[in-house]
Amino acid sequence: MTNKQLSRFAVPYVGWLAIFVVTPILIMVYYAFTDTYGDFSVDNFVQMGEYTSVFLRSFNLAIIATLICLLIGYPVAFYMSREGARFQKIGMVLIMLPMWMNFLLRTYSWMTILENNGLLNQLFSQIGLIDLYNQITGSNIEYFSMMNTQGAVVLGMVYNYLPFMILPIYSVIVKLDYSLLEAARDLGADSVTVFKKVILPLSLPGVLSGITMVFVPSVSTFAISRMLGGGTELLLGDLIERQFLGGAYNPQLGAAISFVMMVIVVVCMLVMNRFGEGEEQAVRL
Amino acid sequence: MRGKKSNSLSNRLLMILVGLFLYAPIFILIIFSFNAGTSSSVWKGFSLQWYEQLFNNRLIMNSVYTTLLVSFLATVIATIAGTFAAIGLHAMRRRSRDAILAVNNIPMMNADIVTGVSLSLLFVAFFNGWGTFATWVNSWQSLIVLPDRLTMGFGTLLIAHVCFNIPYIILSVGPKLRQMDRNLVDAAQDLGCTWIQAFWKVILPEIKPGIVSGALTAFTMSVDDFIISYFTAGTSSSTLAMTIYGMTKKRVTPEINAISTLLFVTVLVLLAIVNLREEKSDGTVKRSRKQYTPRQEKVRRVLVRVGAGTMACVLTAVLIISGYAVSKQPVVNVCSWGEYIDEELITEFEETTGIRVNYQTAESNEALYSLIKMGGADFDVIVPSDYMIARLIEEDMLAELNYDNIPNYAKIGEAYRSLSFDPENKYTVPYTWGSLGIIYNTSMVDEEITSWSAMFDPRYAGQVLMINNSRDALAAALLSLGYDINTTDETQLQEAFAVLKKAKDSGVYQAFVMDEVYLKMESGNAAIAMYYAGDYLTMLENNEDLAYVLPEEGSNWFVDAMCVLKSSRNKAEAEAWINFIASTESNLANMDYIWYASPNAEALEQYPDYYLENYEEELDQELYEIMVLPDEERERCTLYENLPRETLNLYNSLWNQLGV
Repeated sequence: MTNKQLSRFAVPYVGWLAIFVVTPILIMVYYAFTDTYGDFSVDNFVQMGEYTSVFLRSFNLAIIATLICLLIGYPVAFYMSREGARFQKIGMVLIMLPMWMNFLLRTYSWMTILENNGLLNQLFSQIGLIDLYNQITGSNIEYFSMMNTQGAVVLGMVYNYLPFMILPIYSVIVKLDYSLLEAARDLGADSVTVFKKVILPLSLPGVLSGITMVFVPSVSTFAISRMLGGGTELLLGDLIERQFLGGAYNPQLGAAISFVMMVIVVVCMLVMNRFGEGEEQAVRL
Repeated sequence: MRGKKSNSLSNRLLMILVGLFLYAPIFILIIFSFNAGTSSSVWKGFSLQWYEQLFNNRLIMNSVYTTLLVSFLATVIATIAGTFAAIGLHAMRRRSRDAILAVNNIPMMNADIVTGVSLSLLFVAFFNGWGTFATWVNSWQSLIVLPDRLTMGFGTLLIAHVCFNIPYIILSVGPKLRQMDRNLVDAAQDLGCTWIQAFWKVILPEIKPGIVSGALTAFTMSVDDFIISYFTAGTSSSTLAMTIYGMTKKRVTPEINAISTLLFVTVLVLLAIVNLREEKSDGTVKRSRKQYTPRQEKVRRVLVRVGAGTMACVLTAVLIISGYAVSKQPVVNVCSWGEYIDEELITEFEETTGIRVNYQTAESNEALYSLIKMGGADFDVIVPSDYMIARLIEEDMLAELNYDNIPNYAKIGEAYRSLSFDPENKYTVPYTWGSLGIIYNTSMVDEEITSWSAMFDPRYAGQVLMINNSRDALAAALLSLGYDINTTDETQLQEAFAVLKKAKDSGVYQAFVMDEVYLKMESGNAAIAMYYAGDYLTMLENNEDLAYVLPEEGSNWFVDAMCVLKSSRNKAEAEAWINFIASTESNLANMDYIWYASPNAEALEQYPDYYLENYEEELDQELYEIMVLPDEERERCTLYENLPRETLNLYNSLWNQLGV
């Protein structure tokens, strides 16, 4: 079979993409630009000004969660790659395995840990930490409030998406050409320089895809913020969900918010990847 | 850097800590699956009861079945389609390939919620188009009758899963194709292979690792997915994740811990076996292979293939047939509220009538409305409250009932008929009624609460649970200001909103909740909440310190009534269900179980005796009057009325702004 004939195998898939990937987005855009009567309107976007703070809060929390994931995930991936083959294999399985316990359930488990009467506060009062805190600060608290705070939401994001940061970074680092490091050292670089000039730039593609894989679900989550944040402060995901299946039915507004969020995320990713490519080329040169 | 294996103790410690962080919640879940009590934070002793009860819990078993079926089918379809697509793409010219790959990456780049929302909009648009088409086709011929109404369900769920699975396959098969030497295929064909033979003998073995790892990723993603399923499954099929999400809003039963533990352990064991075998095979395979002659080897391979193929076919067939068998039974789709029925009634109805009940719950009247409007819902019977019934009637979404099929309607008390939402009694059969009030924990609040202003009082900062629906929350604010709860006056509503907003900004609210209120109030995690009288009585069983008050400013009393949607395809079954639930026996059982007052006059009269008989003690009159409000108390309360569209829009926009 020639290439031309072979490439026909892709035709059904192109059709599939057109129907189930491109059309839905076009319909979403159509919704975003209409009002409830189906007439053209930019009202939804004008209304969106009211929700600037939701946008800011979502992006803020997602960025914090992504940074924490990066700070924890990079060293873990790095150290992991230096372990023995058997350890690495088991380690990878252990990092993937939690995904087989549904994430909602794991998040729910955090609720029982963080509640005012939860396991952590029970532990703290057992070991006298709360009394100690009261003595030092002169306050009179019975528990630390951890639930229903932005901190709890960030914790939920980090917890759920940390594996998505570790895995891509690890898979890049583990394939690093070891002789490059030796060459750098032979040329007189100390380990900090080796890390800065060789390992970090070469692992950048892994870092970038890790950032994408953590940031995008964090910025759009609604289950985590609802469960750990108590619904007092909306995130973008909550706002969108509410317009479609929640308490304030307005799919036009929901579509407009989704559309704007999609555009912002895509632009961020493009800029980041462009920047990443530049780095990679700089290294090669 | 020195040698390669130079991890210091502190580095290892970091890894161990991260491991603990990842696994601590999982261990807790597993431990509490063996808890004798129902709590997920208080240990009451070891027991295996949840594992035994698991297999009788139809909701969970159904959702596990749906999850596995959809993940399995989606993985198979996506793997086959994705592999051929990858081969086709590989043969393309670079420019068109890159363009297609960019589109292919969209579902992976996009937030799940955007994919879910846009797909659900596509399905809704398609269903609308199909409805018009089917009506048109049916109008000029009668040979084939097309169903004129489609809803989201297993089919749309499957499409959505295939959609987000294919990119993973393409991304993991593509690199393997690029690594493959192109000349191999040509060589095989030169040696007389047809292309198909070359595909089986050359291409497939080369790209097999890519296919396997892609399929594994796809399957894992499918099992773990929640958001996309949530928007595309409609309500008739529910994956495990969706069931769990529903439960996290009220109580997560320990059976969920049990099933998750089982799944988790199964995967753990499978992975362990695979890894051990791989390790062993590294050393032993070469030796064992030698024992076979080439001919035996060939036979062995064929046998393995046939065996695996048959198993896969049988599995698929069993899954599909059992799904089909279930779908052929007469069914009624009921949507009600959480903890709102004695579940034995469902079993009893199924056993006496042979009609399967697909029982689902919505979170609030507003959420129910969204569900129906989005076209995802396949409900026959719904149980909305008064004002929502009026709105549904106004928008022509309810079907008129045939009361000849509901003889038990005669037993409904006069006070619950001909109410403002259905003045001519054409659409509804009341299910329960009750009042909205304030629940507080007397061990945490020193004074007696009498007024709605307690819900906005900064003295209780961080202790108050506000109700998570616009109508009730604004009603509390309106009442505290002395306004009518059915007001359409924008300044009054803005004033009420300001009260809510101010309280929220000064940190009064610990959380906005619906059925999460049970756990938080029972466990003493919050001091004050507004909720419904019947639910207070349920909470009281688990925490004796709770008190209920119908505030001095008056309150809302509500009637929840069963209605049939106009789009229902099971009207006869729906009316059979309504009649069954309206009977005196069902009302007594429900009243006893959910503690909401019945509208059935006979049941109201008989309940004190029923209680005496079952519990061998007198019914506490004070508690009984919280459930069944005496007339003079009920006169202090007002029914919600349906509001004009502008006011509803105002409610929505205020409600959105409150979260900002």
